[in-house]
Amino acid sequence: MNELVLVVEDSDEDIEAIARAIGRSHPDVRLEFLRSGSGVLPRLDGAGAEPPRLVLLDLNMPGEGGLDVIRQVRARAEFDALRLVVFTSSENQAEADACYAAGADSYIYKPINFALFQSVLSQTLDYWRSREPNVTQTVVPPPGDSSAQA
Amino acid sequence: MRWAKALHRLWSAVVVIHSREQLADLVLPPLQELPGVRAVWGLRHATAGDGVLAYRWQGVPLTEDRQAVAAGLAPKQAGPPRVVPVDLPGITTMVICRFDEPGQAAGTIMVGVDGSADTAFVAECLRQVVEVSQEAVRRLAAMRDEQQQLMRDALLAEASLQMDAVLDTTQTMYRVPRMAVPAIAEGCLVFVHEDGKPVLRSAVHVDMRRLDAMLREPGAVERLATPGEHSQVLRARGRVIGLLVFLFDRDPDRIPPATFLRDLAARAALAIDNSTLYEQRRQEVVRMQQHLLPTRLPHTAGLELAASYTVGDRVLEVGGDFYDVVVRGGGEVAAVIGDVCGRGVDAAALTGMARHTLAALLHEGLSPARALTRLNARLRLDGSWRFITAAVALIRPDGTVEWTSAGHPAPAVLPVDGEPRRGAGGGVPLGILDEPRLKQTRLELAAGETLLMFTDGLTESRDADGRMFEERALGAALHRLRGTGLQQLIDELSSAAEATDDIALLGVQRSAHE
Repeated sequence: MNELVLVVEDSDEDIEAIARAIGRSHPDVRLEFLRSGSGVLPRLDGAGAEPPRLVLLDLNMPGEGGLDVIRQVRARAEFDALRLVVFTSSENQAEADACYAAGADSYIYKPINFALFQSVLSQTLDYWRSREPNVTQTVVPPPGDSSAQA
Repeated sequence: MRWAKALHRLWSAVVVIHSREQLADLVLPPLQELPGVRAVWGLRHATAGDGVLAYRWQGVPLTEDRQAVAAGLAPKQAGPPRVVPVDLPGITTMVICRFDEPGQAAGTIMVGVDGSADTAFVAECLRQVVEVSQEAVRRLAAMRDEQQQLMRDALLAEASLQMDAVLDTTQTMYRVPRMAVPAIAEGCLVFVHEDGKPVLRSAVHVDMRRLDAMLREPGAVERLATPGEHSQVLRARGRVIGLLVFLFDRDPDRIPPATFLRDLAARAALAIDNSTLYEQRRQEVVRMQQHLLPTRLPHTAGLELAASYTVGDRVLEVGGDFYDVVVRGGGEVAAVIGDVCGRGVDAAALTGMARHTLAALLHEGLSPARALTRLNARLRLDGSWRFITAAVALIRPDGTVEWTSAGHPAPAVLPVDGEPRRGAGGGVPLGILDEPRLKQTRLELAAGETLLMFTDGLTESRDADGRMFEERALGAALHRLRGTGLQQLIDELSSAAEATDDIALLGVQRSAHE
């Protein structure tokens, strides 16, 4: 997995906690923070900027909320491989369903306790890392099945 | 002296690392600095089998072909540094040392030197670095265990808090797996036994699409509902109520112990059982309440009628509000509303008696004042300590309304346009005085106007913004609902209030065209 995670979060406390938690569990992962949803597409479109492989998204932000961001990103096929992880303290099941319907990959509970907070983030990163397709894998055609070999 | 300093720095540095990933960057470079050293290679071994999980290096890189050589040179067991002659470009000798730490991935460090190196000194330095590394691994494991314990304690505390915060079964069943994923498992499912069969009631996974695909596979749900290694029976008050299933997609050492999963399941079972009991009891209350009220309101020429009864939030006992409508001779309609103080079976019995007494007497043609007086006498005779607020609106075909109140909240008249008018309350509740004190007033109900009668559950509740309904919110709500149909008005009004007590609402609308 590319070791860049884009965090979209407007709360100072949560930004600090996310940086501390991932800094401890995954020191090799670099974090980039955006304070509002409206910055996500311009960041992804930015020429020459390193593309993240995972976006950690708060739902309730002023202006463009997390759900809008999911819809906008999922409307663009070139970002299909980008993992969208919603990280929220909300207990609203309808909201979770809406996020999945819009194309979120994970809808993760944001706990109050820091040990739990760190564990939740760490396991989420580990999970999506383990699911990362091996991009260098080469497909070998079965013998005699390729006219190009002739 | 230089080595002593390097070693000292190393000891200070390893106590602050948080992950095994950081270890190689710390321990390999000092060895690379020793005279004659060409390469320092680090191998992390799999906990089971001969596999190597990670290769790290300084100096001559551990390319793929050299990785096989390194894996072949690595000792199978821990021991003191050994010196092995090798034939690698620029490297004549390897000084190799492996360390094991129970339950953790073992490590091997190999130092490749050329002919100029003092292998005995390199071996001693390597022994010391291995000592530091082993201590770091031990410390990381202890830290992780402590972290896991902290996390599990926090999860139990937070889960209990979350589950206790709701009394709704569906919500409770959703919160259990939502708390567990992905902190302790990648997926979590709640099965509840219904009619002896496990029914999947809630499922959460860190990767919902994957879980959905899995659940769509034929037989998958049945397979998951079968008790297995990672499932915990949900048991409450000695009864099995379901199954909590955990799905793991992580290293075995990160799977929580069964004792912890059992503890979480026990709390979940209790919360699910509590909310189920609560819902059953509440349904019983609502059903019983319905028996105390008219099953339907009569049809009346020239008047439209609508009523609603809202059981207060979190209320688990039958309340005492009642209403009824009686059609009398001469086109008169008597609308009754009342409220027995208190809740429970006694209050319910009195509610039924009061409503039937008033309805029967009014039906026989007694005036509202006489009907209320008779009810008062009956209450005094029974020696009941309970009192009743009640009011009767006697509506005549010409729209005049005779309002007789025994301590009941004043009604409101909603015009077609313009602001609502409040009637008068007054009088003393029935059951207190031997001679009842009633307040009689007259109201006019013009064509299209609505008489709204209600119990104090409405005026003493709060709206969504927390305002007491009596203060301003009732006026605001009535203003907002102007022009809506009668049934809609009643329904919206009952849902606009956050009912802590029961609310009875009865609306009588005079037809606009006669």
